[in-house]
Amino acid sequence: MKMKFDRQFWVRCAAIVVVLLFGMLMFFIGKQHTILLDNKTITVNGQEIRALQLVEVQVNKLESLELAARDRDKVDVTRQSHKITITYTDSNWNEISFTRKFKVPLMEEMVIISIPTLVSDPEADQSLWLEKYELPAYAIQASPEEEVVITDDLAGLISL
Amino acid sequence: MTLQRTKSQKVLRFLGNNTVPILFLVICAFGIPLSGYSTNYLVSEVVVRIARNSFLIVSLLIPILAGMGLNFGMTLGAMAGQIGLIFISDWGIVGIPGMLLAMIISTPISIALGLWCGKILNMAKGREMVTSYIIGFFMNGIYQLVVLYGMGSIIPIRSSALVLPRGYGIRNTVNLIGIRKSLDNVLTIKLFGVPIPLVTFAVIALLCIFVLWFKKTKLGQDMRSVGQDMEVARAAGIKVEHTRIVSIVISTVFAGYGMILYLQNIGTLNTYNSHMQIGMFSVAALLVGGATVSKANIRNVFLGVILFHLMFIVSPMAGKNLIGQAQLGEYFRVFVSYGVITISLVLYEVRKKRDRGDAGQLLAAEQGEAE
Repeated sequence: MKMKFDRQFWVRCAAIVVVLLFGMLMFFIGKQHTILLDNKTITVNGQEIRALQLVEVQVNKLESLELAARDRDKVDVTRQSHKITITYTDSNWNEISFTRKFKVPLMEEMVIISIPTLVSDPEADQSLWLEKYELPAYAIQASPEEEVVITDDLAGLISL
Repeated sequence: MTLQRTKSQKVLRFLGNNTVPILFLVICAFGIPLSGYSTNYLVSEVVVRIARNSFLIVSLLIPILAGMGLNFGMTLGAMAGQIGLIFISDWGIVGIPGMLLAMIISTPISIALGLWCGKILNMAKGREMVTSYIIGFFMNGIYQLVVLYGMGSIIPIRSSALVLPRGYGIRNTVNLIGIRKSLDNVLTIKLFGVPIPLVTFAVIALLCIFVLWFKKTKLGQDMRSVGQDMEVARAAGIKVEHTRIVSIVISTVFAGYGMILYLQNIGTLNTYNSHMQIGMFSVAALLVGGATVSKANIRNVFLGVILFHLMFIVSPMAGKNLIGQAQLGEYFRVFVSYGVITISLVLYEVRKKRDRGDAGQLLAAEQGEAE
């Protein structure tokens, strides 16, 4: 069959491209990321940054989370660009609140934000306080037993 | 000129034409009081099942219009939909974007499978239903090969929640928590305490409107002509084979979308069985609604979903209350699914013979009058 490069052909090509672009858009806006919010004492460049006694953290417009020292919580978000709002009380009992925008790398399933590091320098590059998080091996290791795959819906009758 | 019939003949004819829906009404009439379920519970369950299954059943209408009978090959589309869902689960795409992406992924697979299925069905004219049924089984083997051995080894799947412990192949069940009820929960209203997922119903309504509109288009009219008489359609210049293939492609693509809608409501994908069951239940539901191999409409879809799934809902509890075993009800509904398809096919043949007899009588009467 000879291919005709007529108007219909180009319209079809354009339709396919539009659908593919739409699919890519769905990928970008539907990709879910888990953000771990960590309020633990951390050492950055040899300098210890102490955990906050109590801090209120809000990601986008999700419910605010209160974290005490050594607490860790998580939020699930979609899309890449987000806002984090942190409210805490400093050593002089002044309530400080600031908002910072950040971007989660597209293919990262899970990232961790070190709240004390962010609070110590809110203007710092996000690579200082946001990093990729990989689950420890024991958490992702599957059960040692092999799963029996049932590919036949009548297989259950064998046991009768 | 029409044949004169007595009242009893008319009643018998009506009963004959509506045997399956009447049978189901009787089953439900006995089953509902036995189950002991409240009206509110039954109505809410039926509403859920209408939202869950209607799209899949509507996808069967177009091949019937084209005279290809009940498209058991809809399982091909269901497989394509499931592959889309496996990918979005692996990539972590959630919500409505996830559903839409699964639909986009399923579309080329459905089109390719539909084209292939349509070409085979063109080689088996007059035996489309049994051929599509066997194609479903054949393609199930290929699907299992791809999903059980190809995914995780050749096709990259990263999520350990999806891959079997041995490192390749997809697990028996895939958790679709990311897209669970994402469409149903967009806008839900409560009517007399019954939650109605408005957006899902809107999507189903759009498909129904599409089918109604499609029947009036040139292609729809071509399909109707092909369904009535292939040779006459060919003589009229209609590309019969092409039209039949298009009907199967449309049905397969919609079946893929329907499967995604169905599974977003359920929230769990039974990787190796969901698609096979859904083909059987969709066909059975359409037949329960009073459709035949050659004639079906949207009314049949909704009547079928209501009656068939009402029986599904009440039969386990009715079985338990009657015999003391819910298992009986489970067996009963599987038995009824297969049984209803058999009864409908037998009745279709009986009706066809009866109509031929009526046509003969009419011709004889006309000839008698002319003499």
